[in-house]
Amino acid sequence: MWSIALRTLIADRGKLLTALVGVIFSVVLVNVQGGLFFGLIRKASLLVEHGEADVWVGHRNMHNVDFPRDVPRRWIHRVRAVPGVRRAEAYLVGFADMTLPSGGFEGVVVVGVDRASLLGGAWNVAQGRPEDVLENDAIVLDECENEKLEYPRIGDVRELNHRRARVVAKTNGVMGFLVAPYVFTTYERAGQYLRMPPDRSSYFLVQLEPGADAEAVCADIRRQIPELDAFPKREYGWISVSFWMTRTGLGISFGAATLLGLLVGMIMVAQTLYALVLDRLGEFGTLKAMGARERHVYTILLVQASIMALAGSIAGLALVSGIQRFYSTPQAPIVVPWWLSAGSCLLVLVICLVSSLLPYQRVRKLDPMMVLQS
Amino acid sequence: MIVPRSLKIDSAHAAVRIEGVAKAYRRGASSTAVLDQVSLSIDRGECAFLVGPSGSGKTTLLSILGCILTADRGTVRIFGQETTAMNPARRAALRLAEIGFVFQRFHLIRGLSASANVAVPLALRGVAPKVARRRAVELLEEVGLGDKIDAHPNNLSAGQCQRVALARALAGEPRLILADEPTASLDAANGADVMALLQKLAKKDGRTVIVVTHDARIFSFADRIFRVDSGRATEDASPYDQCSLAKAG
Ligand SMILES: Nc1ncnc2c1ncn2[C@@H]1O[C@H](COP(=O)(O)OP(=O)(O)OP(=O)(O)O)[C@@H](O)[C@H]1O
Ligand SMILES: [Mg+2]
Repeated sequence: MWSIALRTLIADRGKLLTALVGVIFSVVLVNVQGGLFFGLIRKASLLVEHGEADVWVGHRNMHNVDFPRDVPRRWIHRVRAVPGVRRAEAYLVGFADMTLPSGGFEGVVVVGVDRASLLGGAWNVAQGRPEDVLENDAIVLDECENEKLEYPRIGDVRELNHRRARVVAKTNGVMGFLVAPYVFTTYERAGQYLRMPPDRSSYFLVQLEPGADAEAVCADIRRQIPELDAFPKREYGWISVSFWMTRTGLGISFGAATLLGLLVGMIMVAQTLYALVLDRLGEFGTLKAMGARERHVYTILLVQASIMALAGSIAGLALVSGIQRFYSTPQAPIVVPWWLSAGSCLLVLVICLVSSLLPYQRVRKLDPMMVLQS
Repeated sequence: MIVPRSLKIDSAHAAVRIEGVAKAYRRGASSTAVLDQVSLSIDRGECAFLVGPSGSGKTTLLSILGCILTADRGTVRIFGQETTAMNPARRAALRLAEIGFVFQRFHLIRGLSASANVAVPLALRGVAPKVARRRAVELLEEVGLGDKIDAHPNNLSAGQCQRVALARALAGEPRLILADEPTASLDAANGADVMALLQKLAKKDGRTVIVVTHDARIFSFADRIFRVDSGRATEDASPYDQCSLAKAG
């Protein structure tokens, strides 16, 4: 049965190709669309993901890494006293205006990190060195924000909320969910740029003792300092992501577009499979006249549907990885989680199999008598 | 119940035995009666022809013998098995096991090579592909197509196609071979060739052959000839007269 199914499918190249295009279209659409979505939404937790902290501690009910509420800095001692905490450092995140050479200005997110540890500091440094941020008035910008910030070079001087800032290093691809570029500097200088009293802090970044349980430490921190909230890195990343998902309907709009594409692709497959069968009704009639049973016929259709799904999925995923390689940028990263690829292929397979039911109904009703009468 | 001795022996030997078969095609309220009172019996190993005017019901009768159609009335026994009451799945199983078909228009599967076409009945029976292919190649050699094993139907002549179909009908080693106008799409020489092959290969293993035909040129291959007309089948007294007639003509 397998070889009959395979050979008759291959014999009809035109139709096979149409079905493959349908499957490939669906797989590529789901993965690229999904990849863009995850790439975009993941930016919402960029600081958390790259911050090298095991646990993020901040104001009660903190819900987005880019929008913190400040807490008294002196509480850091209480955090440090919690068992399992190896190190805790203050961290500032806030908005400021950068004055541009043209006379305009651009809103930026200032991130202030601890001088001694540089915990939560810039990463992917492409020009200069991370520790250059310790120099006077030093700030670190990202290369990808060049256009917005009017092409600052190393050594260029800008103003942040009317205070002098000098570009000492540049990262590559550190772009957040907000349109405002990240500006890394030291904790003290960030306080000045943000005009914050020196005894305020946005977060305490915590690194744990080896073997300490993040959940347990978070629970301890919450219990001992009820004004604070504490989350393991992953969880706070997820909280920041869901902030945008739930408040903007982003997930729904991406999801709807993806689903629609999936539908179009699948209609193509179902339609092709049906046309393939209609074209070969006589052959199915011959098989039935020779004594083929329902299960023989259905096996042929299932095998053909599976081949289409499988071949289309493989080609589709290959195309996706190509697209990812050539079109993924820090501005619009395409991040395809493995489960999205696997899930989309599985879904395509299931839909292909289900869509073979329609032609099967047609063949089931076929009277083998037709073979003798034509 | 006392069964007459003659009938008992008869049914043991009969490949096909039908009695009082009637068949009408119904479409909505209208109904076309085709067969009315058909009775005939064909012994194992015999080559019987069904002849008659167009529209007389030859194909209908062949389909009933082939378990594709069911009779409205009467009894149909194929190798002793009553088929009228069987459900479609049982009839399909019987076709697969006992009957090989040869059609006027060959009905080969386009996407498959000659050998793959011949192997189809074996595939349907679950024979391993390698074994099936070996058997298909043997059969193709027997029908003189040893050099066309991997050719596709598109690249074969009509005569070659019918020989592939013949090999396919034989592949499952059926005891009964049914052919509906097997020579009608072929020229005289090819028709005679195919018929000779069919008779030779069927006779070799004692298979029963029933052929529907208009083609008087091949009447000489028949052991018995049944004339189907006006809803009945009557046996020609001496087919050899027919054959000499055909030859004379
Ligand atoms: N499915 C059907 N529905 C209605 N009428 C049918 C059907 N099939 C056949 N008939 C009619 O039944 C009659 C017998 O048909 P059948 O095909 O058995 O004749 P035949 O002897 O094989 O003819 P031919 O020599 O032309 O092949 C014809 O009048 C035909 O029109
Ligand atoms: Mg006919």
